[in-house]
Amino acid sequence: MKKNSPIVNSIFFNWFIAVSMILLAPRNSFGHKVNIFAYAEGQMVYTESYFPDGSKVVGGVVEVYDSQGNNLLSGKTDHLGQFNFPIPKKDDLKIVIIAGMGHKNSYLLSADELPDIIEQEKKLAQETIKGQETRKDQEITKDSPLQKSDVVQTVNLDEFKKIIDQSLDEKLDQKLSPILRKLAKSENEKISPTEIFGGIGYIFGIVGLILYFTKRNN
Amino acid sequence: MHISDGVLSTTVCLGSYILSIGICSLCIKKSMKTKELPKIAMITSIFFIASLISIPLGPTSVHLILPGLVGTALGGMAFPSVLLGIILQAILFQHGGLTTIGANSLMMGLGALGAGSIFSLVKKSNNSKLIINTGAICGAMGVLIAGITLALLLTTAGEDFYGVAKVALLAHVPVIVIETIITGAAIAFLLKVKPDLIGVKIKPDETGVKVIQ
Repeated sequence: MKKNSPIVNSIFFNWFIAVSMILLAPRNSFGHKVNIFAYAEGQMVYTESYFPDGSKVVGGVVEVYDSQGNNLLSGKTDHLGQFNFPIPKKDDLKIVIIAGMGHKNSYLLSADELPDIIEQEKKLAQETIKGQETRKDQEITKDSPLQKSDVVQTVNLDEFKKIIDQSLDEKLDQKLSPILRKLAKSENEKISPTEIFGGIGYIFGIVGLILYFTKRNN
Repeated sequence: MHISDGVLSTTVCLGSYILSIGICSLCIKKSMKTKELPKIAMITSIFFIASLISIPLGPTSVHLILPGLVGTALGGMAFPSVLLGIILQAILFQHGGLTTIGANSLMMGLGALGAGSIFSLVKKSNNSKLIINTGAICGAMGVLIAGITLALLLTTAGEDFYGVAKVALLAHVPVIVIETIITGAAIAFLLKVKPDLIGVKIKPDETGVKVIQ
């Protein structure tokens, strides 16, 4: 065998050049798997869909199901792969992304991750009742100036607490959402070298076993 | 190009499982040679890893599938090799679902078998240029057949065949181009360093000098 056959060499070189040229050209394509993650923040659920290499799913269909499998709502992802919707129900929400061509995945947002919608409604109701009460109190205080200072103080404390709670909630949401996002992303999957080498090990192990048994039979 | 869980109906999943197991056992019966097993292990590893190799192309990336290379290197044993690769990809990488292992291996396995049967036509040729170019075409054919099978399988899930086929093939044009080149380069390289790996024999030519044929 001639070590450096010129024909083969030049063809190989040509292919090599062609490969490197192709690699430099920009193109889009589809990933193998599609991921979706979701988190609740305030009264909204935020979802983001992406392929493992980080490219966003644009125009993918997102469907939301409750624990009984009823379709609650559906929509399309925007150019950032995001789709947001108000919490439809306090239940285990199954959020499904369909990116076409056999790409489909889902994310389960459990009920305890969602803030209580009903309680919030109750709070609102309580607030309105309280407001009415304070108005009544104020009416009373007009008549009896002695009680006035006490009532005003308690009302102020309640309001103060409410304001602090609200601003704390907002701040916490702001600070925690990137962390939540990262957690959800890392939870979603990343292929580690362990799995790659494990897989190669499996292949050689299985073929080795076949080889062992076929040799023994012979 | 892996189909996820829950896309295909149960009947199609079961049917493709049965079909792929049938084809696999037929292939093993017909073309398994004990001395080729190490080669099969090696090619299967390449196929298994290929789907992880993302080639950055501008803002996004493309990854290899390589049914064409598996087909040209293994011939009839390509299908069992692809099946094993797909099972491990599904379990370890979550590429494609567990219920769709049958469908996925049918898709890529048929691509590999198609490429293998085209390549077997030129194995005995004397022309190394012809062998390399056919190898490159086999690389494209592998992805093309896989894409068509994907469209067929998705049609059973209620999508329009021509629409899906168009989208599937258009999306895989870069993959086809890259695999054509990579398979061609791999065949050229193997012809140079280890021609018996792709079943091509070295014979002395008329002048008595050994060349690659």
